[in-house]
Amino acid sequence: MIAMIVRRLLQMPIILLVIYTTTLTLSWAIPGNPLQRAEGRRPAPEVAQAMLAQYNLDNYWTFYWSYLDSVTGVKHARQTLDGSRQRRDQTSIDQGQAPPQRYVFDMGPSLQYRDQRVNEVVAASLPVSVTLGALAILLALIGGVVAGVVGAIRPNGLADVSTLIVALVGISLPSFVTGTVLLVVFCVWMKILPIAQWGGLRDMILPALTLALPFAAYIARLTRMGMIEQLGADYIRTARAKGVGEWSIRLRHALKNAFLPVLSYLGPAAAYAMTGSFVVERVFNVPGMGQHFVNAVQNKDLFLIMGVVLVYATMLILFNLAVDVMYRWIDPRIEQ
Amino acid sequence: MVRLAIPFVVLALAVALAVVSDHPRPRADFVFINRGDVTTLDLQRMSWQQDLRAARLIFQGLVRSDIFTPNFEPTPGVAERWESSADGLEWVFHLRSDAKWSNGEPVKPSDFVFSWRRGLLPDLASDYFNFFAFIRGGREFFDWRNDALARYAERPSGERTQDAADALWDQTVARFDELVAVRADDTARTLRITLANRCPFFLDVMAFPCLYPVYPPLVRQYERPDPSTGRLIAEHGWTKPPLLVSNGPYVVAEWRFKRHMWLEQNPHYWDRRSLALRTIMMPTIDDPSAQVLAFQTGAVDYVTETTPAYRGDMLAEKLAFYDEHRAEYESLRAQGLDQFEIDRRLPDDPRAHIHAVPAFGTYFYNFNCRETLPDGRDNPFKDRRVRLAFALMIDKASIVNNVRRLTERVAHSLVPPGSIAGYTPPAGIPCISDYAEGSPERAGLIERARGLLAEAGYPDPSRFPGVEILFNKDAGHDLVAQAIARNWQEFLGVPVVLTMKEIKVFKDDLQNHNFMTSRASWFADYGDPTTFLDLNRIGDGNNDRDYQNPAYDALLDRAAATLDPGARLALLAQAEAMVIEQDVPLVPLFHDVTLMLFNAHEISGISPHPRNEDNIYLVDVLTDGLGTNVARTMPIAPPVSPPVSTPVAPPAATPPHAEPIR
Repeated sequence: MIAMIVRRLLQMPIILLVIYTTTLTLSWAIPGNPLQRAEGRRPAPEVAQAMLAQYNLDNYWTFYWSYLDSVTGVKHARQTLDGSRQRRDQTSIDQGQAPPQRYVFDMGPSLQYRDQRVNEVVAASLPVSVTLGALAILLALIGGVVAGVVGAIRPNGLADVSTLIVALVGISLPSFVTGTVLLVVFCVWMKILPIAQWGGLRDMILPALTLALPFAAYIARLTRMGMIEQLGADYIRTARAKGVGEWSIRLRHALKNAFLPVLSYLGPAAAYAMTGSFVVERVFNVPGMGQHFVNAVQNKDLFLIMGVVLVYATMLILFNLAVDVMYRWIDPRIEQ
Repeated sequence: MVRLAIPFVVLALAVALAVVSDHPRPRADFVFINRGDVTTLDLQRMSWQQDLRAARLIFQGLVRSDIFTPNFEPTPGVAERWESSADGLEWVFHLRSDAKWSNGEPVKPSDFVFSWRRGLLPDLASDYFNFFAFIRGGREFFDWRNDALARYAERPSGERTQDAADALWDQTVARFDELVAVRADDTARTLRITLANRCPFFLDVMAFPCLYPVYPPLVRQYERPDPSTGRLIAEHGWTKPPLLVSNGPYVVAEWRFKRHMWLEQNPHYWDRRSLALRTIMMPTIDDPSAQVLAFQTGAVDYVTETTPAYRGDMLAEKLAFYDEHRAEYESLRAQGLDQFEIDRRLPDDPRAHIHAVPAFGTYFYNFNCRETLPDGRDNPFKDRRVRLAFALMIDKASIVNNVRRLTERVAHSLVPPGSIAGYTPPAGIPCISDYAEGSPERAGLIERARGLLAEAGYPDPSRFPGVEILFNKDAGHDLVAQAIARNWQEFLGVPVVLTMKEIKVFKDDLQNHNFMTSRASWFADYGDPTTFLDLNRIGDGNNDRDYQNPAYDALLDRAAATLDPGARLALLAQAEAMVIEQDVPLVPLFHDVTLMLFNAHEISGISPHPRNEDNIYLVDVLTDGLGTNVARTMPIAPPVSPPVSTPVAPPAATPPHAEPIR
């Protein structure tokens, strides 16, 4: 197991480098000048050119290496080692001011949100997306597993058919439809939930539900299939013959094995849910990370594009690793 | 079984932790949606409306404009008084002794000098560099620095060290003091400024946020000369609390990115007694429909600009509301009350919460004046006659009434009539919708346009090169472009191609003059016609049309040198006529309106002035028992003589010659 973890962690930088190169090349090809702004006044041409140079946006390879330099922490380490960072900080302290904050893994400035660095954008939006995603996955797990177990008790019975229909609807309906319907019903008509806010648990209910629905539907179907398969297995018959209670059989024996496919689905699902969904964020005004995937590309905010893509890629790799570790822990047979 | 529960427990713990660690704030005294996220609070670099609006709350300049007067009277800000020489070139500002930064330090005249130097540095790429260049020596300093940086960049890399960059910076500071005519005396608390040219609207410019001061000891930490280029690299860490030090009525207590900005009163603000709000929140709500819902459910008090697709219907409902109270409405209007005060005196009705306020801006179409397009094709619009023919054949009324439906005014001039006291824009050229369908005048106008095309060498319009209309997606620009394309096809018989691009690509194309005709708009910065007219100067950064007429520039220069205000404005009107009547590098379509949401019965302090400036520190929630709870209004305007068919009142400052909105 340790060897597996180490191997996967060693692969990680290579995968990230490939993703970095591909994404940067594609983003670089987006037409338009990254510093061209949608409104406001234009600076003089020579000033605009100098600004491009300042951000290394005038040359692909300069940008490629300088971004890599700062995002990997090499630049920070270099400045720490040669003492230039400490000297600058000391100057600030001498003047009675707090030294500016420096990031080890510096993802650069956002071109669109001019007062934010990409590190700040990610620090502000990632926890929101992770919270929302965690709640959504939790709801999806509870709802999906319960529906799957209940449905599997009597396949094609009333409970089974109705959960299957709900699951089908959940998978088919796009979230801007479910989201808008939930919003209108609970916030506008019934007025029991707040609108366009974020912070408390009450604000999270509707976006989490919207986000959870497709996951819950998929989990319900996975659980149901697994349960039906397991309930017909020999060890279940043995357990029944020993006189184990029916619910105990279902939950302690069958579910344990039926849950494994759900678990492997959970890795990518959690990574997806926790890095934010543009649609859900837009409908419920959630300050998460999903919006940046879309907006950053539209604005050709290269630093932000690279930042969110690298964070997403890292999360995806780590979640898959976590799931694989859990998998082996729940079902030790896989180790062999 | 226990192991199975692990994922559930981990997820539940994560959510619980997030909920517990997040501390949502209670509702602020006043909650408003400031158009979009604040992009920057760096005063010298900002140019977006939402940034300027926030800056007016958080910082303060030497003077403030009284937005409740027709002329935007300058009133004391950090300066308690000022005097100017007879020729209008020398200005002395006396700073009040109780002007303080939010950390309790006094605001010094030299803080202004520090800030304006930032504005004049090419290194910072200030969008409003031209404002700083009003000061004598400003432009020379900018050019000197540009040259110095170019020379620095030519040095061998071995000589480009931190010490060399620092030396260049010291030299720059010395050069600034030498060249730029602004002198601070921190003991006498005076600031002496000499202008490059006479500038009748100088106090207006002084009230503009880019000229407000930043706190030098803080900002200096974030600026350092870069050894490889010699340029000053300016970072933004200082614009956020708890670091940010400001001198305005309110301070930023919290800025949570994409969530909200939370403002509290500045304990050291000199005029704190005038403030009627203890706390202000600016939430981020991007979706226009969500903004409307948030307003309707009471979570938000004011939406500065509402843009949902159904805004035309909301406006129609307001008109229906006025119709129900027609008699009362007309009598209030006849009294000369401003449009918000009229709403305040009519019954409180949710339909009346939307307000269409004339904006200080004009929507127009550009004609590219270059000989050839960037791809080498011949540009038919280089010919004045072609431009004129196309400009005549736009059905502006139909665009306003059927496409936009936002009670905008059809425009014949670039400067909105009535927006600048004392200035009467020229009448402009007619357009097809000025004449009734089937009328001989209309047929005559079409004849004239076709004749112009024939004169220009296009007797057969169907063989005219395909006319490209460039516009950006969103905001309904496509609908306007389609309407215009139909006009040109129908009346001129020319082939038209519509080209829609993403905003950044669109802007790039404009800047590179890569278009034949394009949509455009311009919102003014200060109360003088030059804010509109300067963009047609040769070489101006915003002269997308590449219109070049030395006679035009000469007229503007002559106006700048003219002392008599009336004669000066007359010269400017002549210049405007040259653009919109004679050379036609652009054709104005309509004057924009801003749609706001707020309940006039509850909120006061928002001005209906067409210059469309918000000073939120004037806002008073009339029902909360804080502040005076007396509504601020525009002074009573002279009675509007003929009752206008439209209920959306022209602003108080609009002289009677302004055309009705419909």
